[in-house]
Amino acid sequence: MSERITHAAKQAVGLLIFIAPMLLAVIGLVGLFEAFVTPQMLKSLFTGSVLHDTLIGTAAGGVSVGQPFLSYIIGGELLDDGVSPYAVAAFVLSFVTLGVVQLPFEAQLFGLRFTLVRNLLALAAAILISAATVATVELLT
Amino acid sequence: MLALVAAGYVLAFFFDESTARDAVGKSLHTLTIVAPIIVIVLLLTALMGTFVDPKAFTKHLGEGSGAKGWAIALAAGIISHGSSYVWYPLLADLRMHGTRSGLIVAFLYARAVKIPWLPLMASYFGLAFTVVLTLYIVVGAYVQGRIAQALLPGD
Repeated sequence: MSERITHAAKQAVGLLIFIAPMLLAVIGLVGLFEAFVTPQMLKSLFTGSVLHDTLIGTAAGGVSVGQPFLSYIIGGELLDDGVSPYAVAAFVLSFVTLGVVQLPFEAQLFGLRFTLVRNLLALAAAILISAATVATVELLT
Repeated sequence: MLALVAAGYVLAFFFDESTARDAVGKSLHTLTIVAPIIVIVLLLTALMGTFVDPKAFTKHLGEGSGAKGWAIALAAGIISHGSSYVWYPLLADLRMHGTRSGLIVAFLYARAVKIPWLPLMASYFGLAFTVVLTLYIVVGAYVQGRIAQALLPGD
């Protein structure tokens, strides 16, 4: 039993050494984005056109990083500024489902094909689900 | 990529030292949050690889696992904590042991449901929005998993 536990510990260390460089790179990028990409910058991207803003919202959410609650705060402010709820929903959803920052890490572990398929599906879903959500809520209320 | 990020920080310090320092602080803060989770995830990965029979992965999460596999993937995604990239090593290991790619995709998308943050979302966007979005995310996770499985059958 102790041999198996030792083996497991060695595997964990080996895996940590393997992923450490990429993991540190992702964390470093997170810091850069959080410091240099401000909510004001994100707000300035929206123009008032529903289609344009929905696409911008998806893209902005996809490149943004941080805790999920940040997307709710920014999303709330965008709504208060008159940005379309479709765009805000797309931003909030893509904030938590898309992540440009971690793409290289994902590709390293899962392969390029898996990474492309998963992220393209998530991109399409961010637009479709946000549109469906807003439309459904408007229908219900 | 680490070298590129390091170069990015060097440039950042050159052009805007105070914001670059802020970025370093935020990165260190993220590291303190992520580090315990990654240790647990790596240990789980290693323990699973050592103590769990690979056939169990195939039975519950591989080809033929059916609705049970999808339910496990969706539920696990919803209750999982932390950033997605922290879970990548474990998921990659599961995939290597026979877990279907579609289930991995479903897990990762279902993570968009952040149970602890739902009340905050409701306070900003309303209860109806929160409930509807959550339901659509779960359905969307399943649909994406199915599509991914069709597109990645041999993976």
